[in-house]
Amino acid sequence: MTGLLKKILIIVVLLFTTLALYLNFILMPEYQGLKTGVSNYIIQSALRDTGSLNLITAVLYDYRAFDSLGESTVIFGAVSGIVLILSRKMLPVSSKGLSFIVKRTLGIITPFIGLFGLYVISHGHLSPGGGFQGGVILAAISIIFSIVYGSAFDYRRYSPQKKTILETGGALTFLTIGLAGLFFEGAFLHNLNFLTAEPGTLLSAGSIPYINIGVGFKVGAGLAIIFYSMIQKTFEEDY
Amino acid sequence: MDIKVLFLILVPLSTAFLIPLIDLINAKLRRFFVLLGILLESYLLVSIIINNFSELKKGDLFLQYHLGGWQPPLGINLVMDSLSLIFVVITALSLLLIVTYSIGYIGHHEGKYYVLYSLIAAASMGAILTADLFNIYVFIEMLTITSGALIGFKRSKEASAAAIKYLVYNILAGLLFFLAVLLIYFNLGTLNMADIALNFTTLSVQIKLFITAILLTSILIKMGIFPFIFWLPKSYDTAPSPVTAVLSGILSKVYLYIFIRIFWTVIGFKTLELLNLNSFLLNLALVSSLLGHIFALQSNNIKRLLAYSSIGHIGMIMAVIMLNSTAGFYGGILHIISHMFMKAGLFVSCGYLLQYTRSHAYRDFRGVGLKNRKVFIAFIILLLSMIGMPPLLGFASKWYVLIAFLEAQNYFGAFIVIFGSLTAVIYYLRYIAKGFEEAKLTDTELNEEIYSRPLLSVLYRGKIVSFISYTYTAIIILGGLSFRFLDLPLKISTLSVMNVEKYIELVLGG
Repeated sequence: MTGLLKKILIIVVLLFTTLALYLNFILMPEYQGLKTGVSNYIIQSALRDTGSLNLITAVLYDYRAFDSLGESTVIFGAVSGIVLILSRKMLPVSSKGLSFIVKRTLGIITPFIGLFGLYVISHGHLSPGGGFQGGVILAAISIIFSIVYGSAFDYRRYSPQKKTILETGGALTFLTIGLAGLFFEGAFLHNLNFLTAEPGTLLSAGSIPYINIGVGFKVGAGLAIIFYSMIQKTFEEDY
Repeated sequence: MDIKVLFLILVPLSTAFLIPLIDLINAKLRRFFVLLGILLESYLLVSIIINNFSELKKGDLFLQYHLGGWQPPLGINLVMDSLSLIFVVITALSLLLIVTYSIGYIGHHEGKYYVLYSLIAAASMGAILTADLFNIYVFIEMLTITSGALIGFKRSKEASAAAIKYLVYNILAGLLFFLAVLLIYFNLGTLNMADIALNFTTLSVQIKLFITAILLTSILIKMGIFPFIFWLPKSYDTAPSPVTAVLSGILSKVYLYIFIRIFWTVIGFKTLELLNLNSFLLNLALVSSLLGHIFALQSNNIKRLLAYSSIGHIGMIMAVIMLNSTAGFYGGILHIISHMFMKAGLFVSCGYLLQYTRSHAYRDFRGVGLKNRKVFIAFIILLLSMIGMPPLLGFASKWYVLIAFLEAQNYFGAFIVIFGSLTAVIYYLRYIAKGFEEAKLTDTELNEEIYSRPLLSVLYRGKIVSFISYTYTAIIILGGLSFRFLDLPLKISTLSVMNVEKYIELVLGG
């Protein structure tokens, strides 16, 4: 009875909050255009400042690189949390995988998926994409391995320890490049100007490609770890 | 440009990144590694205080760091003024005490626990030190995700349910905060807090109202003020004791800091007055406080009771801050400090006391005081401080809160302070009496106790755990005897809250 009463109370409170917020929302004036404060400056001089053709990457890994460090740390924390809650000590029960045709086909396709992931990561400062997006593509490889070949195959090829090392290595790469900025240029996460080349080439834009690589491996390994902990079979007596 | 301000965030962050690697080398090292990280942080803090002591005394401490070398409106900057300093100091002290406690308490899955703990340390430092609105959002997300995972640490059904509930409420709050940040950027074209504060008054009233409303909703959910208190007791109850101490001792205080920072520095109290929200918020906080104490009266579970009492105290702190007077801030910040140590100390000693009991329920509390007499006496002293007994720190802070309410002629607030203390006497005395009751186990109860799952898998190193309980008690007693030493930091932090123009000038000009 008290449970029902509490549920009704929660629903009433949430409805009232929604109503109040909606009433505030409809009072808002209509769209009057974007106020161009900082963004105007970035559009005009980001290429000159950072050497990155992709302005979003320039904002993510140069102007506001600390935010990106925080965001990738959020993923790191989420991975640790999911592993903490879902992990079991026993080995997962692996399936035998899908049919022979699927296995052979994906055996041919998988290297290209990896290549595409690496392309998206390494061209983050030149074309749309970057570490976060490319990392997700890399994580798909591990997921394909578990589904098509069975998770035991994935475990033997890329064990969770290896993935953890990759993930931590990616995070430490980001941090190390930040500290390198501190030593060489005088500010944490400052773009490393001595690495800059002509804009548009693959190894240009200072430290941005290297941060992209670090974030890519971190995100890829992190998502693979999340997938791996989720497919593990759980038993009731494990609690 | 003070590099130490940056390293206050980077030290726990790199600790968190390095722990998985250290796990691969030697799993026993990580405890000392985490302790080393937090000790290094304390050292940095002490050196900051010593280096800038003369400025600190005059009340114009101001350190900032531009990340990436970009000047304020463009890049992110970290700012430490007197208000941040006092929050950073108490947070770092709590972190140090709770990590020592965790070494004694946490017996399994240590690796992931310490990763998440270090991330909480980094995120709370970052949320306090940053001067950029989006950066605050990033750190709030980090706090939510990591603490949500730690609430589910026991992996039982209840713990998972509480963690899911916590995450749903808090991610909703985070999204509302994100929406507010987006709207502010959309309308002002900047994310720097000082820059926003300078230009916020130029917006039209409707936009101001909507931004303020969603910011308020999100921060009220995070703090656990009345209409949004439902996630709080469950998650405090099911989380392991050190996590509960972090939740009530650190996270709620960090959110209070963000509340002060946003509604005094960024949006400005004048905007709240213009929108007629100040008296509404004051009364809402007082009602929340009243309800917290009333719910605590009917609670039959010690950890839930402490959670409800937390709601009462945080409501009271928010109300006294909403008075917007010097006395209000003085009392509010003093009560933030004292509540931080009292509540964390209570949860910490609860973790020791409840190790032999079947559940946290009232009937299982019987005989607890007789089994472990010393810790129970520390527990009673902390409870007396919560009630507001004279020589303890709780009395001093409650006294200043009461004076602030009387000065503002807010008699409802003064009534709530007294009412809270009086109800606290009733609901705490019940548990003290039960704790001293002789436990006579019948055969059926004994069987139940043997076959029921123990709440803690192991509590080895009990000495560290009881030592931390005594330390919290000592802090409360010594703080109560010498709370006048807190006079200077409280005064300068109050000054720095009220003097917004100086903050804006220093951030944008320096």
